Amino acid sequence: MPRVTVTPRFVRTLLSFALTLPLAAGADGGDALPDWSGVWERYEGNGGMFDVATTRPPDGRAGEPGVRQHPPLTEAWERKYRETLEVVAQGRLPDPISVCGTPAGFPRLLALPDVYEFVVRPEQTWILTENGPNIMRIYTDGRAHPPADELWPMFTGDSVGRWEGRTLVFDTISMIGDRQTILDRSGLTLSDQARISTRMYETDEGLLRAELVIIDPVALTEPWNVTRHFRRLPPGTRVYDYACAENNRNPITDSGQTLTLGPDGRVIDREIIED
Amino acid sequence: MQERRSPQPAVLMALLLGCALPAHSHHSSAMFDKDVVREVHAVVKEFQWTNPHVWIQILIENESGDTEEWSIEGGGPNTLFRSGWRRDSFRPGDEIDIRFNPMRDGSAAGGFIGAKFGNGSTLGKWQVS
Repeated sequence: MPRVTVTPRFVRTLLSFALTLPLAAGADGGDALPDWSGVWERYEGNGGMFDVATTRPPDGRAGEPGVRQHPPLTEAWERKYRETLEVVAQGRLPDPISVCGTPAGFPRLLALPDVYEFVVRPEQTWILTENGPNIMRIYTDGRAHPPADELWPMFTGDSVGRWEGRTLVFDTISMIGDRQTILDRSGLTLSDQARISTRMYETDEGLLRAELVIIDPVALTEPWNVTRHFRRLPPGTRVYDYACAENNRNPITDSGQTLTLGPDGRVIDREIIED
Repeated sequence: MQERRSPQPAVLMALLLGCALPAHSHHSSAMFDKDVVREVHAVVKEFQWTNPHVWIQILIENESGDTEEWSIEGGGPNTLFRSGWRRDSFRPGDEIDIRFNPMRDGSAAGGFIGAKFGNGSTLGKWQVS
């Protein structure tokens, strides 16, 4: 019988192998968790329109006059959206993320430019967006949402979920809503009463697919189904600092106008819009 | 300052539309007139390889023969890098032909579309489709 010498190196190797075991098993010890490593980017175009399926015109880009989507809005929120679209047409939408100070929040963080990382662990999954950056934590360790007196509206909300095979299923509540977030540059908003159920899985084509069912008793008349996809970039792709405030030469005025600064920091716009 | 070949700005109306900025912009691009493409011969003064946008500071000669500095805004450096740009893609003193969507109000700035260098290489959208 061959003799095995137990060296410190052997022990370290064995320990390293043992530490990888939880990563390969589901939270319930069942199916292996999916490998969503690497760097991804949004698959849908449309300049960041959130719900491409209902965007009209279909090839319209977020922020362009006349481009909108069609969620099942209540009468009051449809009116509110139309008023915002008029502001967009004037080029005066005050996009919260343009001031380089606050996160895009959920669900808008699923429709950002630049790239994404999806870090899967048994106890939680992180969605990291280069643009912003944004960090979304989805707890899958069996915990529930906190009680109401331990929650307050947040940009990314509170997300808890579970694995159903290789599908991440999670529920998000307590988002800050129309107070400080929009869904895209068409200016669409939801209320802080929105609740979003999401299923994420890798398709046979290798896309990461997110199916969202959005319920908002204030803004929507019925559940709004939105699907978004991400595609994997070549191996070795890196993610970099975004650092929005590094050299932001486009401050926004109180009237919503985006200004342009010269290299000396002075405003070079010839026309300043005032309310 | 180096001598420039073509001192007069030219406007290519609707031949090559679109702006490289919006897809990766952190702000509205409403200030740029996307229905107008301006092409100028310019000398690069400075290239700011910074977030959230890169900026190409160029010197051009106006119709009066005076030199003007213009600010041309590009996308974010991260995505530009992944599409082949580098932090020294534009070097001070480079003579380039550059196309951009000018500001609607006539300010000395624009949204980058494409550039052609002296050796014939291009960056951004240059070929008219």
